Amino acid sequence: MATQTSQATTKSAVLVSTDWVAQHLSDPAIRIVEVDVDTKAYGEGHVPNAVGWAWDTQLCDTLRRDIIPKAKFEQLMAESGIGTATPVILYGDNNNWFAAWAFWQLKVYGHKDVRLMDGGRKKWIAEGRELTTEVPKPARASYKAQEPDTSIRAFLPEVMKASSARAAQLVDVRSPQEFSGEILAPPGLPETCQRGGHVPGAANIPWAKACNDDGTFKGVEELRALYGGAGITGKQPVIAYCRIGERSSHTWFVLKHLLGYSNVKNYDGSWTEWGNLVAAPVEKP
Amino acid sequence: MPKPEDYSERKTQLAGWPVHIVTYRLGTTYYTTIDNTDPGAWVVKAQGATKEAAESQALKDAQALMEKVKKSKPPTGCTSVPGF
Repeated sequence: MATQTSQATTKSAVLVSTDWVAQHLSDPAIRIVEVDVDTKAYGEGHVPNAVGWAWDTQLCDTLRRDIIPKAKFEQLMAESGIGTATPVILYGDNNNWFAAWAFWQLKVYGHKDVRLMDGGRKKWIAEGRELTTEVPKPARASYKAQEPDTSIRAFLPEVMKASSARAAQLVDVRSPQEFSGEILAPPGLPETCQRGGHVPGAANIPWAKACNDDGTFKGVEELRALYGGAGITGKQPVIAYCRIGERSSHTWFVLKHLLGYSNVKNYDGSWTEWGNLVAAPVEKP
Repeated sequence: MPKPEDYSERKTQLAGWPVHIVTYRLGTTYYTTIDNTDPGAWVVKAQGATKEAAESQALKDAQALMEKVKKSKPPTGCTSVPGF
């Protein structure tokens, strides 16, 4: 089904600058949250008054493979001093990689006002801004999550249909070497799939191409050229995937919130699901 | 409240793989993180009293790790997968 590109979200609605955060460190109306791929980084020093979430224990279901369950999400938000209407400013290391993963999950549960600190932890540190090891203890808030929004999350059957019937455009945001099957996982990380390659029909647009060297997002026109040049224009539904769904949440953020594509989903099962399926079709260039 | 100082970043190759080295000083400690550039996941971290100490330890550890990275071969039916 064809879809229309909606008005691109203004960057100010979903991004704040490091300057803005520096001016709002003690703002009781907002909550700043750090989410890193390196879960030890927060403890070494973080933005003053920021709470820290660990993606591998707090932003997932720790029993089965899934995103954070609704009840656990409500608990996390409440304990972080986040009410339903609290603006949440997320930031993290590596171009806001896992901050975007958190952003996506907050949107799955319907949190209205979520923004990323453009440039993330890297830019904050490179600018020589204050860091603290003091962990804030926010007063507990009351939080009621919405039912999961499946319009931004793709599951396996939909991806199979997207691949076989070209019902949606697939964007594989992993590195070219992962896409080609030359390697099964990024160098230094565990190999968690049985086969290398990619979902048939997917385009390869590595996620970090959306960022500048300082970790900030590229401008809208550059982003439009990057994705549009590969035929990802927002005129058709888009499903982004990577290895475990976190890099693709970053691309999802770009397509959905910076370029304003109306129908974009993150397939968090990603290659660690597809690449382990018995008899699933695999394409290798 | 301390501020990070002496921030530096550079790229190099270890065992044929590109890596990205970031070092900064916070207080009296230098922190070095080496990531795999794509996707940029950290692979080793080290601390030291000097930049050289932190980076040399990190580079040594990262070298050992990157030497183990394999390029894909035809998989067997029982590939050992850490964590499974």
